[in-house]
Amino acid sequence: MSDISKSVRKTDAAEKISGKALYVDDIKLDHMHHALTVRSSIPAGLIKNIVLPELPDGYYSVGADDVSGKNVVKIIFDDQPIFPTDKVTYLHEPILLIVGPDKAKVKELVDQVKIEYEETKPVFDWVNSAIHYHFEKGDGNRVFRHAKKIISYDYETGYQEQAYIEPQGFIGYLDDDKVTLIGSIQCPYYVKNAVIQALGVEENQVRVIQPSIGGAFGGKEEFPSLMACQLAVAIQKIKQPISMMYDREEDMLVTTKRHPSKIHFEAAVDKTNQILGFQTHVGIDAGANIGLSGVVLSRSLIACTGAYTIPHLDVSGDVYLTNTVPNGAFRGFGAPQMYFAVEMFMEHIAKDLGIDPLTFRKRHLAKQGDKTSTNGTFRDPIIMEEMIEKAMEISDYQTKYKEYQDPSSHKGIGMSWFFHGCGFTGSGEANHIKAKVKLRKTKDGFVHILVAAVDMGQGIRTTLRKVVAEIIELPLERIIFDFPDTDFVPDSGPTVASRTMMIVGGLVARAAKEMKERFQEIEFTVQKQYEQPSYIKYDEATFQGDAYPAYSWGINIVEVDVDPVTYITKVLGSWSVYDVGKAIDERIVLGQADGGLAQGIAYGYLEVMRHENGVLKQKNMTDYIIPTAMDLGPMETVLYENPYAFGPYGAKGVGELTLVGGAPAVTKAIEQAIKKRIMKIPATPEYLMELVNHG
Amino acid sequence: MVEGYIPTSLSDALTELANHPYRLVAGGTDMLVQHHNLKTLPINFKQDVMYIANLSELQGIQEEEEFITIGACEPLESILEHPATPKLLKDTILEMASPAIRHAGTLGGNIANASPAGDSLVPLYLMNAMLEIQSKDRTRRVDIKEFITGVRKIALEPNEIITKIILDKIDFTKATFRKVGPRRSDAISKLSFAGAVTIQDNLVMDFRIAFGSVNITVVRHPEIECQFITKTVQELKQNKEHIVSLYREYIRPIDDQRSNKEYRKQVSLNLLRQFIDTI
Repeated sequence: MSDISKSVRKTDAAEKISGKALYVDDIKLDHMHHALTVRSSIPAGLIKNIVLPELPDGYYSVGADDVSGKNVVKIIFDDQPIFPTDKVTYLHEPILLIVGPDKAKVKELVDQVKIEYEETKPVFDWVNSAIHYHFEKGDGNRVFRHAKKIISYDYETGYQEQAYIEPQGFIGYLDDDKVTLIGSIQCPYYVKNAVIQALGVEENQVRVIQPSIGGAFGGKEEFPSLMACQLAVAIQKIKQPISMMYDREEDMLVTTKRHPSKIHFEAAVDKTNQILGFQTHVGIDAGANIGLSGVVLSRSLIACTGAYTIPHLDVSGDVYLTNTVPNGAFRGFGAPQMYFAVEMFMEHIAKDLGIDPLTFRKRHLAKQGDKTSTNGTFRDPIIMEEMIEKAMEISDYQTKYKEYQDPSSHKGIGMSWFFHGCGFTGSGEANHIKAKVKLRKTKDGFVHILVAAVDMGQGIRTTLRKVVAEIIELPLERIIFDFPDTDFVPDSGPTVASRTMMIVGGLVARAAKEMKERFQEIEFTVQKQYEQPSYIKYDEATFQGDAYPAYSWGINIVEVDVDPVTYITKVLGSWSVYDVGKAIDERIVLGQADGGLAQGIAYGYLEVMRHENGVLKQKNMTDYIIPTAMDLGPMETVLYENPYAFGPYGAKGVGELTLVGGAPAVTKAIEQAIKKRIMKIPATPEYLMELVNHG
Repeated sequence: MVEGYIPTSLSDALTELANHPYRLVAGGTDMLVQHHNLKTLPINFKQDVMYIANLSELQGIQEEEEFITIGACEPLESILEHPATPKLLKDTILEMASPAIRHAGTLGGNIANASPAGDSLVPLYLMNAMLEIQSKDRTRRVDIKEFITGVRKIALEPNEIITKIILDKIDFTKATFRKVGPRRSDAISKLSFAGAVTIQDNLVMDFRIAFGSVNITVVRHPEIECQFITKTVQELKQNKEHIVSLYREYIRPIDDQRSNKEYRKQVSLNLLRQFIDTI
């Protein structure tokens, strides 16, 4: 048997390079209408009156009165209206659609809609807590009584925009009585279930199809459900095919972003300079709706010990509502904020204690058998020590670190350690998702993978086929994985949370094993459903137990040079070592590694987005700066194998792991270069100048 | 509905312009962005447009004994590659936009756009660039600093076209352009700086300083520069903080989505210090 990690040509490479791949905006239907959105012009207030212009024949407005089902977008926390009825909670909130055959005319009509408001005072401070969580491990904060020293710091993180290549969009049409939607989405069944509730129809009256997707990064997890519900209501009313495409600027102004956070840390340190416990509070800005924010907060809180074992914890957090654009899912999902804070905190504690940070961190590094932050157990082997040695060797870390300690040096090197829990937090997989997959053998001897997993560029159309081909021992060409269509594939869950290969791929592998045994049968289908490993127990209310079935681990090292004249950080290079269990395709994993780290490093020092009184200041790709290859220097990645028993061939999660450590690695490097402490990200030249001047 | 006109020659363009007002489009690399529309809808121009980038009379680079002339619609990338182009201008173009945009964008367009963040304006002010401007009935020459009158404001009559940019050939001892942008390529400047000096027998014979993106247009003050002509290099260097203080009041940047005024001011002056240090 060959090694499955050996790379094959990516399934979608030829169609994308040649331009043949069809994205949603490439699909043209006869009599296509266009929907544009009328949006609020204030961040908070009551809608007193809506005055529509006279609509020509064939032009329609679609709003709250047209919603035949429940006027709320079904996500995890259902608090977002499809169309608001009486109040506005953020700037550019969608209020109604104008639909018609000529897009220019539709735009003209949108501009003529007059909405009268009674403005109310918008809330931008983080005072309105909608969700509060608290949990303890060991003696909680009571351990602080035994502390020899207490060290406390506060950290802040900013927005991050997904900046996927393809803005959000849908087309939809009525097929008999069935509303059919084709969209740029990550989660076909989230969309389908939201639309069923919005229209108040039967399950078989809604169909959702995925075309080629130009990137998502979490940005197409929950937001598309809002668009889909609005469009479905319009289709139900007008009974014409409708296209609803966001332009880049509209997309950036109104879609979800990474939650800004404020993280407070206190550490109790004993007389041997060992950490007894942490007391931590995390605040995140949800924007105008809760949506997924509670789940984002959970992941952040659970990551509060970083890659270390801390015996006693008192952990709390709040989701704050503000009159700003709602925030949501983004690769890492609460973990990037926390890894920045906890990695800097560990560094700052060591410096305050006058100990070499590396020695101090190694003493606290988590080991197999240790208790997690939620009193679960790291059951599987942790090979971080070996990986750290490797990372330091390939980057020449220690020589450089010593050299850059020189006060006259403008260079720095930083190293982050991290893990990422694979799959949904807590019992989500077993209790909420209950993934189902099917494999179907057809008469012609082909095997069809029937799952709702979306290939948004990360390569699942290639890697899932490899798993099945390898198990059944068929050539790759005989395995078919068409784009998901909810009329034909079961709900294998959303394409999120680094779960697709480990969870969905694990189920597909189980189905493939059964199919192989029955392969002499001419035509048949095998179905598998997720079963939680029996030893995994978790209580969501108390945050106690195993929050994840498995963990991927990683190390990022980043080297920088900070110009003392301009305070500009130049990234000289980066080195990464990852344990993702087993790479199903080495080149695809390395691609995720480069892209994820680029996004993570940029989160730490480059990407700036902020609002002033609810108005986002960076609203296009000219002003929202993401890195180019020139900004990153050479990147080297080494993969370690450490198979997980329930992942296919031992595979664990990849996608998010590669992002979460980037920010602290670059900010630690900057910290060494400027000899000042970095307390917030992005660490822009403006911020570094302030530190050099004053701090 | 706006009309577009594509002239076949410069005289055709000037004749048409004499009769009818048009918005001129050269490479369009900023103008099309400014007038962008929803995708699939036409560009949102507010008045009729004339596309002049293809006019051969507006292209080419000629090297004379004392000066070089650059066609107003010569693409930036071709200027970058031309052997006669002054090094300072090459260094600047290399920092502008991306190669793809530089193949479309033109020097005349960057001037007429008159953005406070227009990178090429900084070396052009420093080199006392002259512009040749034509209408149907006359040709005139104007200094770039007289031509740009404010933020996106220029002294161009509705019937005129910029045809050439004329640069003196100057052999500076040292000439530097520094762009401070949010990333290493393909971004709009937070600020920019150009400095040039000519030294003969240890005496400063020419000294020029220009700053971009820190005022409504490029900051250049010959009356400050001339105070240091015929000083020795050592005297110039000893006067570093004095020189910085003379420029301080003219650096009046703003806060915006790209940076803030404190940063722009401090870094502009740091670049001036660094330039003097490295003479």
